[in-house]
Amino acid sequence: MKKVIPLLLVTILLSSLLLSGCGNKPAPAVSSSAPSPSGSVPAAPATGSEPPKEWTPERAINIIVPYTAGGSSDLLGRAIEKVWSKYCEQPVQIVNKPGGGGVTGSVYVANSPPDGYTLGLAYGSGCDMSMPFLQELEYDPFEALDPLCLISIHTVMVGVPENSEFNSLADMIKWSDETGKPITAASSTANGTVDLVLQGLAYSTGANIVIIPHDGTAGSITTLVGGQTMIGGAHPSDFLPQYKAERIKLIGVATDERDSSMPDVPTLKEQGVDFSAWGSIKGVSVPKNMPDNIKKYYEKLFKQICEDEEFIKIMNDMGQPVMYEDIETFTKTFKNASEDYRNLIDNLGLTYKK
Amino acid sequence: METIQSLLGGFAVALSGINLLFGFLGCLLGTVVGVLPGLGPAATISLLLPVVYAMNSPATSLIFLAGIFYGSMYGGSTTSILLNLPGEAASVVTAIDGHEMAKKGRAGAALSIAAIGSFIAGTVGVIGMSFIGPPVAELALKFGAPEYFALMVLGLLLAVFLTSGSPLKGCIMLFLGIFLANIGIDPLTGRERFTFGTLELMGGFDFVTIAMGMFGLSEILLTLEKEVSSEFVTTKIGRLWPTAKDWMESKWAIIRGSIIGFFVGVIPGGGAVVSSLVSYSVERKFAKHPEEFGKGAIAAVAGPESANNGASSSSFIPLLTLGIPCNASIAMIYAALLVQGITPGPFLLNDHPDVFWGVIASMYIGNVILVILNLPLVGVWVKLLKIPFGILAPLIVMITAVGCYSLENNMFNVFAFIGFGIFGYIVRKLDFEPGPLLMAFILSPLMENSLRQSLMLSQGSFSIFFTRPISGSFMATFFIVIIWQFISKFRKSRKKGPVSFL
Repeated sequence: MKKVIPLLLVTILLSSLLLSGCGNKPAPAVSSSAPSPSGSVPAAPATGSEPPKEWTPERAINIIVPYTAGGSSDLLGRAIEKVWSKYCEQPVQIVNKPGGGGVTGSVYVANSPPDGYTLGLAYGSGCDMSMPFLQELEYDPFEALDPLCLISIHTVMVGVPENSEFNSLADMIKWSDETGKPITAASSTANGTVDLVLQGLAYSTGANIVIIPHDGTAGSITTLVGGQTMIGGAHPSDFLPQYKAERIKLIGVATDERDSSMPDVPTLKEQGVDFSAWGSIKGVSVPKNMPDNIKKYYEKLFKQICEDEEFIKIMNDMGQPVMYEDIETFTKTFKNASEDYRNLIDNLGLTYKK
Repeated sequence: METIQSLLGGFAVALSGINLLFGFLGCLLGTVVGVLPGLGPAATISLLLPVVYAMNSPATSLIFLAGIFYGSMYGGSTTSILLNLPGEAASVVTAIDGHEMAKKGRAGAALSIAAIGSFIAGTVGVIGMSFIGPPVAELALKFGAPEYFALMVLGLLLAVFLTSGSPLKGCIMLFLGIFLANIGIDPLTGRERFTFGTLELMGGFDFVTIAMGMFGLSEILLTLEKEVSSEFVTTKIGRLWPTAKDWMESKWAIIRGSIIGFFVGVIPGGGAVVSSLVSYSVERKFAKHPEEFGKGAIAAVAGPESANNGASSSSFIPLLTLGIPCNASIAMIYAALLVQGITPGPFLLNDHPDVFWGVIASMYIGNVILVILNLPLVGVWVKLLKIPFGILAPLIVMITAVGCYSLENNMFNVFAFIGFGIFGYIVRKLDFEPGPLLMAFILSPLMENSLRQSLMLSQGSFSIFFTRPISGSFMATFFIVIIWQFISKFRKSRKKGPVSFL
């Protein structure tokens, strides 16, 4: 027995070292791999001098999802993880860094070294699109990160609990007009893209909508299913399990066209409410100053993933359309979307003023 | 009858070779994860998802991942009791009396009772899940923001009772915990709070660094004060098994803890932690010698440890019957199922009975595996205490520091761990106890969010907490407990002359 204890200790020690080695962030094989304050970029070759042509990863890659596990962005990450090994020899690790409506995780990516081992997912979500115009924000999506590619765009839908008396927006507006009471609404994140749709709905219909933000989708969906609020907003993949289970009715989608994954749900415009928005853009981001050969590698990798039949099937089943765009196109899309959001928020009179 | 039929079908799934193997591996891995400081079930599940995808069987993967989750709850008590290192939020309460028991040479009894309590509670939880799962799940939906707020207020009040010393000092630690939880980014608006512009503070402090520092490291520092030759806990191990008296004191604690854990664990968010707190307070009320609480009462180990294991079983109920994930680990499992084409929720039972009943049956088996795995280990674990302090203490610090580093792979958490260790040493020298601080740190973010959400719902009126039945009764309990405390203090002071409230 006496020999067992040192053995046990050594095993624990080794396994803890091992497990931490393949933990959230790659072990510091490179001296600067620990997250350091912005500016300390490793001696990456400047764009002028030609870097080695081909780049392939040599250790595990982390994809940071700035939202909680189980939300639509996390599900997208898990779907990527499922097919990843078909196209990349190195493993991928999806790391959830929720907080601050996506700011915490995004800043984490921005401060990671641009060595190709840390990528960000869900670039184009609320903290990149709506939050900068709706509130004071220390984070600037354009200055912090570079776009890599687009994977999906998640529309925003409005749902009500299954026993609600509202079957359409008209019902809701009528109720609001007749009773003069406020309509309570659950949103996943304050001033995120879902939140904006609810704010826009209030503005366009004149209804008094009281928005209750949560710290993630799981919370807002639970609130809505439990009937704690009268309406709620979320992305199709967040609603889907509850929609299939007939615990939630979907009464509108806030895009110009209906969502192909749920074609039964009418748009707000069809129902006479003049409001539409991009929804939540789910792109991949990289830290600034990433060498072109690394970007090229990932651009190709994500293209392959987006063309993978298994991936497309998983995404469709979850209610997330696959809509790949390369660096050039996505950069334009991102700029356009940001511009549209700025105008939309300005027109609604919601722009944050100090 | 139908349930038993389906359950038997589930056993057929769970007992098939590959599922049994992965069920066992999950439990084993869970135990290791629970024992290792710093590595939690959520991180482990996230790490192993690629392995799960390769299995191509949703039933097997769910059985495996569930094993990791409830296995870690078993393992979590080991380091809490032996070394005062609570690796999981739900083990903090166990650490308080469990470690005191270890100091008195009763580590074996504490570990055995924790393992047996966990087994009973886990099994009670799964039985409840099999027969009354869906109606209990509806309970989770009854909890809106005001109910959460009332529950958290009650939880914080109970946290003050975690101290055997002065309630005022308990309150001070409580408020310090609330303050520490505020550091970082405001979850509702994304504004920075108390970060002084530093990147590291933006994410806030990690629970593990505070728990390991204030409990484990400060314990070592306190021991260092004594003679160099002195042992860390005690080389006197005593008997491994609980005595007949221990049994008498713990059996009802275990049963009460199991039931509390089962029902409170269903509540998404703080279920497991709150259930261990509730169980602690209930046991203290039922105890013949409540003054022993905080000084190594076995019921204070048996009850909360049973409660947190009961909660870990019942936290699967909202996932499986409603499609609502209760905590980060379960949310990870939820995502893994969706990606594999399985939608958790009311239809799971009809569409994939093999998955639904398979995982439930595997939890019956898993609990047996865990108790078989853990009881013999008790003998091995307590021998750890025989290692001379000069060797054991540096090893603990090193392993814990590695664990803290692994949280984010940066040194900030290691420094935070050391900082909280020194802070813990100072406050414990001044007779402050770290338990309430840690509880407040865990519960106050939930409390803050639900307070703000409730006030938005009610347009700023506090009456919302009193007019709804569930939150109203929680609030009533809160005030009754406080008033009752004052009355009993007042009576004592009449008898014994002036006694200070402090």
